[in-house]
Parts: sequence; structure tokens; C-alpha cells
Amino acid sequence: MSRFRVSMDIGGTFTDVVAYDEERGTYVAGKSSTTPRDLTAGVLDALGTIDAHPELCGFVVHGTTQGLNAFLQRRGERVLLLATAGAGDVYHIARGNRTRLYDIHFRKPTPLVPRSDIVEIGGRLDWAGEELEPLDADAVRAAARRAREEGIASIAVAFLFSYLNPAHELAAEEILLEELGDAVTISLSHRIAREWREYERTSSTVLDAYISPIVRRYLDRLEGELVSRGLAVPLHVMQSSGGIVTAQSARQMSLHTLLSGPVGGTMGGVALARSLGRPNLICVDMGGTSFDVSLVVDGRPDVSTETSLEGFPLLMSVVNIHTIGAGGGSIAYAEAGGLRVGPESAGADPGPACYGRGGTRPTVTDANLVLGRVDPAWFAGGQMTLDVEAAREAVAGLAEELGLDTVELAEGICDVINAKMAQAIRTLTVEKGIEPREFALVAFGGAGPMHAAFLAQELEVPEVIVPRFPGAFSAWGMLETEIRKDLARSYYTPLADLDPEDLCAVLSEQEREAYETLAAEGIDRGRARVEHALDVRYVAQEYTLTIPLEGADEPRRSGFDAALSSRFDRAHEQRFGHANPGAPIELVTARTTGFGDLGRAAPRRLDGRPGATYEYEERSIVFGRRELMARVARREALAPGAVVEGPAVIVEATATTVVPPGATLRVDELGSLVIAIGEGA
Amino acid sequence: MRTLDPITTEIVRNAFSAAADEMNATLIRSAYTPVIYEMKDCSVALLDAEHRVLGQSAGLPIFLGNLEICTRATEELYGRDAWQPGDVWIMNDSYMTGTHLNDMTVFGPIFVDGELTGFAASRAHWLDVGAKDPGGPMDSTEIYQEGIRLGPTKVVEGGVQRRDVTDLLGRNSRFGYPAVGDLGAQIACVRTGQRRLEAIVAKYGRETIEAARDEIFAQTERLERAAVRAIPDGVYRAEGCIDNDGRSDEPVWVRLAVEIRGDEMTIDLTESDDARRGPVNCGEAQAISACRVAYKLLINPESPPNGGAFRPLTVKVRRGSLLGAEEPYPCQWYFTPLGLLIDLVVKALADVLPERSAAASYGDSMIIGLAGVDHRNGRPWFDLEPTVGGWGAWHGSDGEDGLINNVNGSLKDLPIEVLETKYPLRLTHYGFRADSGGAGRWRGGNGVVREYTIDCEQAELFLWFERSVTPAWGLFGGHDATPPVVVVNPGRDDERRLLKASRVPLRRGDVVRTMTGGGGGFGDPRERDPERVRRDVRDGHVTPATAWTVYGVEVEG
Repeated sequence: MSRFRVSMDIGGTFTDVVAYDEERGTYVAGKSSTTPRDLTAGVLDALGTIDAHPELCGFVVHGTTQGLNAFLQRRGERVLLLATAGAGDVYHIARGNRTRLYDIHFRKPTPLVPRSDIVEIGGRLDWAGEELEPLDADAVRAAARRAREEGIASIAVAFLFSYLNPAHELAAEEILLEELGDAVTISLSHRIAREWREYERTSSTVLDAYISPIVRRYLDRLEGELVSRGLAVPLHVMQSSGGIVTAQSARQMSLHTLLSGPVGGTMGGVALARSLGRPNLICVDMGGTSFDVSLVVDGRPDVSTETSLEGFPLLMSVVNIHTIGAGGGSIAYAEAGGLRVGPESAGADPGPACYGRGGTRPTVTDANLVLGRVDPAWFAGGQMTLDVEAAREAVAGLAEELGLDTVELAEGICDVINAKMAQAIRTLTVEKGIEPREFALVAFGGAGPMHAAFLAQELEVPEVIVPRFPGAFSAWGMLETEIRKDLARSYYTPLADLDPEDLCAVLSEQEREAYETLAAEGIDRGRARVEHALDVRYVAQEYTLTIPLEGADEPRRSGFDAALSSRFDRAHEQRFGHANPGAPIELVTARTTGFGDLGRAAPRRLDGRPGATYEYEERSIVFGRRELMARVARREALAPGAVVEGPAVIVEATATTVVPPGATLRVDELGSLVIAIGEGA
Repeated sequence: MRTLDPITTEIVRNAFSAAADEMNATLIRSAYTPVIYEMKDCSVALLDAEHRVLGQSAGLPIFLGNLEICTRATEELYGRDAWQPGDVWIMNDSYMTGTHLNDMTVFGPIFVDGELTGFAASRAHWLDVGAKDPGGPMDSTEIYQEGIRLGPTKVVEGGVQRRDVTDLLGRNSRFGYPAVGDLGAQIACVRTGQRRLEAIVAKYGRETIEAARDEIFAQTERLERAAVRAIPDGVYRAEGCIDNDGRSDEPVWVRLAVEIRGDEMTIDLTESDDARRGPVNCGEAQAISACRVAYKLLINPESPPNGGAFRPLTVKVRRGSLLGAEEPYPCQWYFTPLGLLIDLVVKALADVLPERSAAASYGDSMIIGLAGVDHRNGRPWFDLEPTVGGWGAWHGSDGEDGLINNVNGSLKDLPIEVLETKYPLRLTHYGFRADSGGAGRWRGGNGVVREYTIDCEQAELFLWFERSVTPAWGLFGGHDATPPVVVVNPGRDDERRLLKASRVPLRRGDVVRTMTGGGGGFGDPRERDPERVRRDVRDGHVTPATAWTVYGVEVEG
């Protein structure tokens, strides 16, 4: 009996569950406290709150932060790294670059594997993948013995040029398995990322090895628990790419689950774009300490082929999420007679002054409270009562220092943080060659909907959308995505020297592999689709653009060179504002992505009743340095079709939405709050 | 003058700085050559109508605070009426801009409602500007050998890019496509600055902007004066030399005196050597810029610079000296003495700013160039790479091992897999050079060994390795580091040691082993925590012999 499509997202404090009830055609959301010692307990509790028992689930997807937390807290598995002789220090040299330029005290991030746990292994391939020197099997065997003696349970193998010819890595794996059995996990660089650049590939492989045993144990346990309670379908896991895979294949490729949690929000944006018919969205997620921005362009998530985490590069498909240090906890202070807000944050402990946990410095949340934009009794769905006096006192102290009135400063703090967030969004869109005015803004996370309308005013974005369950939007987003498998292979050649038959062969091979892996995920041919693309650049450039192909056989079609060049020129023009038509181009990487359709929720559209009335109270709230009477309504009280004129505040369990004067909020037939910004105040 | 509330001031301050970031994003994302988007060998600034910095993005430190020289120089030459809406200018004259001819500064006026309101400027390193050797010569004796030299020249007129000037620039480079591409990126960057300043003025009003600007400058000046005042009054001196000027064996001396008096700092460079016949000279503007970098490292390093910055700083340069070069002295390697100068300012003030100081780094770009014809496709190739080295230790931390030098921004080394694919070379060894960092309670970072084997019939070697006479010094009892060494064909009959070289012929199978220096140590090595010494030995950064003789810690090998 399958009635629910369920998604589970484990955050630091709460575990969110969102379920789509196929019988009723509606969504329900549930929540329980995260249970750090045994996360499965929290998940089962959360499922219980909405009666979505495992045996009733026809589809289950999960966003896990297991790997990410193990990395962030540096409590991953000890890793032994096997590297090519003569290149063992590549991982520690880390390309030798500095990321802060005015700093004579700069240190690189501390590597996850100390130099003493890196073993150089003889054996060398050349630039064409031909063997120059055979693999030193004895050295691999000695490394295996060392792992056994020292109790090292995870081994990373990253040899030069393995992306062209994996023979040495595969031979090393065979020896390691012979010696160690399956007691250890082995991460081979060509499997993790079949792309050139040995440091980036090694870094990706090491991180996989570092988190892999932990992610595997966790998924085994969670799936085991769910199955023992009657789950009859495979557990799916969200990947950093925005697509999902079965837990079975996530175990083989733990690295891809690393940013599993936050990308759910962007995928929610993709689903919203589809259901609202608005292909271009700026997604903003604002919590206590950070502000995340991501983009949906032409209905697709903005996905990169590499990223970096705390300074470690990772070669994998990842939804781009741009984080800046601005949140409810950002601290306001004076410097040389000027006002500054953030990036320092009061965090959750002591938190803003109004939390009453000993914080005395004014924060953005305190400022919102002083202005009346936050309901002190309804913060976090009434789970926490805020101390208005403490907030006022903290803001007043700084106001005196700066010679300002308390309320004036409180609004000023919000204005400054809004301007900073808006500028961060603008810089990001400039980098992408995007005009923000052509986008709508989707706001979620606890504090996002409180600030979104002001960001929209700054950016001249006409519309803000606050989806249902803004606090659990990431979980909702995961329900709406599809299976995704990314395959890539370095394919470096000037276009002028391209052998089209060879490229077609590589793409066809990847296509075959993509269909095979999709089949292993339970996706039959009818629900599978495959896309191909090439990373291309002008000769002598470094950055590439990913240019889609029409199919694996396109390179052999006549006129391919001209078609690819002009497609690339157009993409370059769009992204960078200029192109160099006629300049020679080169190919760098061949990419193939398999998608598998798992079906989607088809929620009932709710009947709108234009002008539906609703209950509200009135409270005075400050906008533009003036106290105005504003309506305060519960979100549950707003039926589809209801219209609320600003100034107003909408409160719900997980978020507060602020509607400034001049803006108009309308509830659409899916229950989203849609705010038309108007001219602003 | 109208005073403005701190809220509006802060919003405008962020807007200026975001405008500069957007200009930088435009430049870096659309630049053609890796030196710009990867080395960040570029800089942008938004200026007001009086050439004062409203916002500058943290590009290459050595370009700090001197783009305004270009708009000022243009005005001096052609008068204020030369500024016309929609125009963009370009210049690279070394004696005006201070830097080498590869650095092109592109700038334009910003008019709002018909009134000259400010300037946008960008500087970026071009791969080749038509010098006698590709990229730039290592042995030039006059600036005329170093490429095309432009005073202020209009490249966009009334919004239309001049085809004749663009063509001239393209024709004067060995790599015309990238040159014209980078020019396009720089023009786009200037236009972004123009649009953003227009939008800021439209949004807040001219009067508000001007009041905010004055207050922003005043805030920065207050912060910096307080920081300078905290340093005890006195005169602090330091000197050091680079090995030679590339033409003779004679060391080239940089000498400086830093005087602190109240809230004013003066850096006097006048005792430095006269201009040299080899290409290690720089224009005055760039010497001032380097002093500003050093000042910024020690004073108020966190906040982005603006027109209120550097007001407490005076720099004295002697015309005709190597730091105040005049025509026709060559300037190609202008940054070699400047890297030393920056380290020397930190050294001079180390006694009075011990917590902010650091021992010296390995010091220069340590350039290797290899060129030839690739037998695999018959095409000419040219591999030009700076090499990473060790940085100085400081109070509380070891120096970093294998890190790029100060003047190369955030450049990344070239991956072995990319190098061997692109060029007929094999990189047979790339790893840390044990014991090369100066010993100390905090250990100086280690340099690296990078070894190339020639895999084609013939090739040529170029080298610019420096700081062997003044290797990275230690501080407070920390030891000096080991200097760089380059060996051709080590252990063979024809073994040779070189540091600077141009067009040395090599054959298949020849080996070039480069070894960069380390960073200086900080504090007495006998005070180093023995556990750290043992860990260094375990990690191979320190040999057991050094652990015993220098640190007094016995560790089994």
C-alpha cells in the first residue's frame, strides 16, 4: 500500500519531513528534534508526527548531512593515500595559491591526510595514458600491510593520468582487496572524478575516502531500520548535483552526497518554477548565521562541474550556492564613528540579545523585534519567547554611541543588512551575465521571508514568492526532483584537430554506461533520458563553458565544427558580454548526464476565492522611520485568493513574512504567498 | 558641508565597494588570459571627480592605490576638457604608471547628468606587448626593447571602440587574439563602473553621495591614524639586496628608513641604489604602491582601501634611483626589488610590531621558462611558470610550505597532467625541500623541488631565480632560510648551476632541477616544542640531523 511520497531532511536542530498524500492530493509537513546520537530515531519520530509510516510510503528520499558534518568537524576516517612516486606532495602543495592577498600570516587549509600517511608508489603513465614504468606491486602490498597493522580503514588511490588509463589504479585495488578483503573502503581517483588536474582529483578522492565509511554505516542503519518497519521501496538519497540516487549507489559514491541538504531548496525552486510557469528565480535562504543565494535559470538549476569546500577543491556536479555571512544573528557595531553590520554573528549561543541567553550586542533579529516586524510570542512557531526589552536595550546602547534614535538605528541595521545582501545577489548575477529584474525572488528559511521584499526593492525585482512550508522547503524540494547520474571524461583537443569518430565513440560509451547505471537504479528505458555536453573554451583560456550537444552522434554530422563554435560564441557573449567569433576553440571535457523520471506529485490546485476575508489583528510597525498600523495575520488563516495590502506581517510556524507598504500579497492556488512589490515605500 | 547619518553613510560605503567588486567580477570572468583571471594580475578602482578612490577591489596587492595616477597624468597632459562622455583611454608608460609595459591601464570618465562625477579604471597584465623576447625580456637595457609604449590614448570615442587603436594593439602583440580579448574585458569593466556609479548617484543624490564620501574617508583616516599612533615614535631601518640586475653580478641594494612621528609615517627610499642597466628598475608610482602594500599589511589590513587610506603615509623616492626610474632605464622586472622592499618594511617595524610581523618569505617569482617546437604536432610551445616557495614564520605559527609569492596574487601552479599534455616535458619530481625553511621556535615554511626532463629534440631554458644573496631572514632568533638553487643535469658530467639565464640550449633527456628557498624562522629553535620537531621529522619536513644539531631533539630517522 503506497500512499505517501516522503522526503526527510535532517538539519542541525530539527528534522523536517514533508509528505505528499496521494489519496488527498495534498502536502503535509512534520518536524521533530534532531537526535544527534542516533539520527534514525529523529527521522522515525518525524515520520510519526504525520502518520507516514514506512509501510505506507511509495517513495522515500533523504537529504543527509552525515558526510558534511564529519568533514566540518574533522572526525572522518583516517585515510592512507597512495600517490605516484615523485608526486606525493601534490596533495599538500595544493597548487600553492593564496586566497587572501593582504595577509602575511596566510595558511592553507590543513590537509585531511598528514604527509606521513601518504605513500609514494612507483609506476608511471604518460600524457597519452601509455605506460612508462610498470606499477610497483610490492609497494602497494607493503602499503596494505601498513594499513592492516595501523588499523587504517580507508584507502585513497590517486595516480597520475589515471583519468586516461585506470589500469594502475585498478591493479592497486586488486592487490589491496587481496590483502585486506572488504574490511576497508577503497576510493579510486578515476572513479570519483575522471578528469585531469591531479590535485583537484586527489582532493576529491581523499574527501570521499574520509567520509565514505561514515556515510555507508549511516545509510545501512537508516535503510535497515526503515525496512524493518515495513518500508518496501528503495531509499533514495539527494546528491549535491540536485538529482537523487538509491542509497545503494550513494554508498559507492559518498562524495556526491556531501551537499545533499542545502541543494533541496534550489530544487524546490526548480519545481516552483515549473508549477508557477516562471522559469527564472533567485532563491534566497536566510537563517541565523548565513544567507544562501542560488539561481534557477530557464527552469534549470545552476549547476557547476566543480566546487570547493573550506578551501578543498572537489570535482563533482554541484548546484551553485553562494553563501554570505548575513543572518538574523549578524551583529551591529560602531567603528571609527561609522555603523557596521556583520559579518560577525552572535550565532545560536548566546544568540541575539532578545534570546535572553546572555547576548548583549544588537543583532538583525533584535532590530526586527524593535521595529515590531517579529512577533515576540510567535517566534519559531511559539517555541521561543523573545525579550523585547533586552533587544531594545542592546539597540539603544549602540544608538547612543552613534548619536541616533533607537528606532531609527533599528531600521538602519535592517537597511544596511538588506543592502549588503542585495549587493551580494547583484554581484553574483553580474558574474553569470544575468539581469535580476527579469527574475522573481523565492524566499525561505526562517528569516528569508522577513527580508525578501526589501531585497526585491533594492534589486528592482517585481515579485517575491514565499512557498508553503518555508522552513522545510529543502525537504519539499527533494520530493520534486529526479534521478541523476553524471559521467565525465577529460577530452582535451583543439577543435581543429578533433577526430569526430573518436569523440562519438566516447560519448556513445558514456551513454551506454549512463543507461546501465540508470537501470541499476530501477529506471527502465522509457523513463530514462540522456544528455551530452562538452566543456569548451577559446584556445589559451582557462575557464570553460559547458555547451550542450544534440546527441552522442552530433560530432560526426556535417557542419559540426561551425555549429559548436557558434553555439560557444553565443554562450560566451551571453555570459561575459563579449565573444571572439573566428578565434580557435578547444574541447576539454566530454560530459554525459543520465536522468530518470520517478514520477511527481500532482497536487490539487486549491479553489481561489478572490477577496477572501481572513482574521487579523493590528499592530504598529515601523517602516520608513514611521510607525504604521499593520495587519498581522496567521498564514493558516489566508485562503487561496486572499489579498493582503502592506504594511502587514504574516506569521507561521517556521517563518515570518514582512509585506512593506506599497506591496500587495496574494495567496495563489498552490498556497504560495506572492508579493507584488509595487513602488515601495 | 552637510553631515550625514551613519546609516546612509554605511549603505553608500557598501555600494561603492560592491561597485568595485562588480567591476572586478566583470574583468575576471571575461578576461582572456590566465594571468588575469587566475593570477588576479589586475586591479580595478572607482574614483571620484578629484581622482580619489571610492572603491577598490582587492586585486593584485602591488597595484594598490595607484590607478588614479593614470587619470591624473592624463589630465595634466591634456587638461580637464579632455574628458568626454563615452570615452575610454588606455596607457602603459612605465615612467607614468610605475610598472612594466605589460600592465595596461584602461580608464574612462563618468558623467552623470552632463557633469564629470568620477572615473572607472582597470589595470591588467597582458601576455605579450611586443618586446624583443616573448612575454618580456630578461636582459633588456632600455625600455625600447620591452614593447609598445603608450601615453594616454583614446581607445573608445563617444561609446565607439576605435578600430585603428585596437588594430595597433593587436598587431603589436605576439598573441593578438588574447590581447584584443583582454582589452574587451577591461573596457567592459570600465563600463560596469560607469553604470554603477550612475546608478548610485541616481539613487541617493549627488549631495548625499558627496557627504557620505567625506565621512567614509574620515572614518578610514581616523582608523589608520590611531593604528600609526600606537607605534612608538622613532626611525626604523632595514636594507637588503637582490642578487643582480640580470646584466652584471653586482647586488642591487634597497635601503629604507621608516619614521614614525605621532600619527604620521614616512618611508624614505632615497638611500637605495641608482637605476641599473638591467631591467630591475621601476617608476616612482609603483615604489609608492609597494610601500602602501607594506603599510596595509601592518595597518588596518581588513578594510578595503579608499580615498581616506594612506593619508598618514609619506613616501620619499629619489629620482634617478632604481625606485624612481627615468627614461630610458628598463623596467621589465620592476617587481623583484619591490617584493624585497615590502619584506624590508615589515622587518624594519618587527621590533615595534612583533605580533603583526613575520619573518621573510622566499621572496620572488622564481620564474622558469622552457620553449621549443613540439615534435608531436610541429607547433612552437612556451611554458612560463613562477615557482612556489616557503613563507616566513610568525609569533604563534610556522610559515606556510610551498606557497606562491606576494606579487603573484592567487596564482595556482601548473598541474603535472596539464603541463605534460600541453608541452613535450616530463615533470619527474615535485615535492617539498626538507630543511629549506629557517629553523625557529616557529619554523619557516619549506621551499619545493620541481624537476623537468626535456622530452623533445631541442629546447631553450629561461630562468629568473633571485634572493640567493639575501635569502629569507629569520626574526627574534629564528634562523635564515636556505636560498634557491637551480641545477641543470644534476650528477652528470655537464652539470651546471644557474639562477638567471636566457635561451640556454637543451636537448632531449636533459634535466632541470629547480629548488626554491624557504621562509625565515621566528624565535629561538631551542625553544620549539619537541613534539613539533618530532612531527616535522615524521612528515619529512626536517631531517633527523637538523632536529638534533639545530633543535637539540633526538629523533630516529
